[in-house]
Amino acid sequence: MRKFADIQYLPLRPKGSTFDKRITTMDWVIFAFLFIYGLIIIYPFYNALLVSISPDSVYNETPFLIIPKEVTWSNYHTVFTSDKLWSGLKVTLVLLFVGTAYQLFFTVITGYALSRGKWLGKNLVMNMILITMFFGGGLIPYMNLISKLGLYDTFLVMIIPGAIDTYNMLLMRNYFATLPPDLEESAKIDGANDLQIFVKVYLPMSLPMLATIGLFFAVGNWNSWYNAMLFIKNPEYKPLQLVLQEMIVEGSSNVERVSQTQTISEGFKMASVFFTIVPMMCFYPFLQKFFVKGLVVGAIKG
Amino acid sequence: MNRKLIIKSNSSLNDFGANAKRSKYLILMIIPAIIFYVVFCYLPMYGILIAFKDFYPKKGILGSAWAGGNGLANFEKIFKDAYFWKVLRNTVVIGVSKLLISFVAAILIALLINEIRLTFFKKTFQTIVTFPHFLSWVIVAGLVFNIFGISGIINKALQLSGKEPMTVIYDEGFFIPLLFGTDVWKEAGWSSIIYLATMAGISPELYEAADIDGATRLQKIWNITLPAIKPTAILLLILSVGGILSAGFDQIFNLYNPGVYEVADILDTYIYRYTIGTGQRPGEGAAIGLFKSVVSFILVILVDRIAKWSGERGII
Repeated sequence: MRKFADIQYLPLRPKGSTFDKRITTMDWVIFAFLFIYGLIIIYPFYNALLVSISPDSVYNETPFLIIPKEVTWSNYHTVFTSDKLWSGLKVTLVLLFVGTAYQLFFTVITGYALSRGKWLGKNLVMNMILITMFFGGGLIPYMNLISKLGLYDTFLVMIIPGAIDTYNMLLMRNYFATLPPDLEESAKIDGANDLQIFVKVYLPMSLPMLATIGLFFAVGNWNSWYNAMLFIKNPEYKPLQLVLQEMIVEGSSNVERVSQTQTISEGFKMASVFFTIVPMMCFYPFLQKFFVKGLVVGAIKG
Repeated sequence: MNRKLIIKSNSSLNDFGANAKRSKYLILMIIPAIIFYVVFCYLPMYGILIAFKDFYPKKGILGSAWAGGNGLANFEKIFKDAYFWKVLRNTVVIGVSKLLISFVAAILIALLINEIRLTFFKKTFQTIVTFPHFLSWVIVAGLVFNIFGISGIINKALQLSGKEPMTVIYDEGFFIPLLFGTDVWKEAGWSSIIYLATMAGISPELYEAADIDGATRLQKIWNITLPAIKPTAILLLILSVGGILSAGFDQIFNLYNPGVYEVADILDTYIYRYTIGTGQRPGEGAAIGLFKSVVSFILVILVDRIAKWSGERGII
């Protein structure tokens, strides 16, 4: 039922206008497009879920399913009793907490130091950092360096090289630079030094920004496999994503190896994939606004 | 995509008169960063010398002999290798197409989501389409193989219906479109957020005025929304040019297989397999890496010049 107020405004809001509340054919078309696109996004997840809860026999007979024919939790049971996956999960959780704290600490203090004061060599350091965004040594020198440092096949190789993420560090620096400088001046008059000002004045004001950047680091650590793939040989140090990669990707894409890995059923693979996605699915809807904020802040600050 | 947007420094010139003692805590805070960048960014730059050497890890960088006497043997070898040129061609084709396809897809998705008028659906769609960005390519590869792989549903279904099985990921013709498709699937939604944020900043009065003039929806998109996101779009486009030669190691490495190396190998995957996988030829691997770094650097400088020349914001 249309309210009286709406009728009054109608002359100003012709059909199809931005503030017209009526649903037109065009709305349905747009909605249909997005609906199909959304289904394409969701379908692979749904399919993986179906495969993971179907017994192998059902999957082999009817690979295309819309609703599960027969539900079994045996694949998940295998996942939860798999030593490899638990060991991977343990490594990943350590990376998630220790790695994130470590990255946050160094990224934030660097951003702060670069945002404050006029200390000797500040521009030099800034330029030194900016150059690394546009030019690097490449993979082979990096690998050579890692073995020279004695980090090869150590747990620390997955943490230490990630200390500062230049992009997020600059994000942090720009954020600190927007905070009012008078706070610093009045704290200085009270006899506070730079360290105290940082910890007691500016850090508490930056908590939302810290949360945003920390979340990006956390996702990065949850998903990290590249450094581990290059440098980790000890199975005990392999993070979850690397364990998964060896199981899924090498098994499926390496033609010569397919015969060896045929023993790993599709259902088990998908159960492992789901095991890795679920934590993200649970947290993402609540944390989405932080991620979006981080992206938008980074792009709008010039 | 917009990794490099925030790098403008508000540099004031010489700070050399500043009092180091007064800023001792700030200097203390920057010391770890200096060590970090020197060790993990500048030492590998010194390691570029490997590209000019007949490198043996035991002898070290300085101890190894210059490759071919003049130090250029590694480059001569890779430039003479027909496969290198094929890989370079693949890299450029994949890199450029992916850049353009993702660019258009992100804007299209943003326009569509922006036209949704019920806040609930708008929010839901945003959540759904941005989610895959937060998964690793390992996971996405798992989902892709489950559909297109050898024991994926398509293959299984073809087998059951008595048809010739067809594994998409082993097919040279299908693999490259699969790369584009999965890239859009994973990243386009997230990339659209930045355009949506820009669209949210457009003054509603503009649309109201257009309504009074009797503009259609398409006219409003064409004349108001698109011009409003144009600066952002151009900036993002030119920023991504520097990354063309990177073409997505994570994606290709996790999805490809020996059957499609000829079309899917890019510089990064080639370096990985050619040197790290075999444990040999580090000099040639470093030479390819240096080639990639130098060309990418030149691209960034060029794009920056073009951007400034055409009146857009520069990136350096």
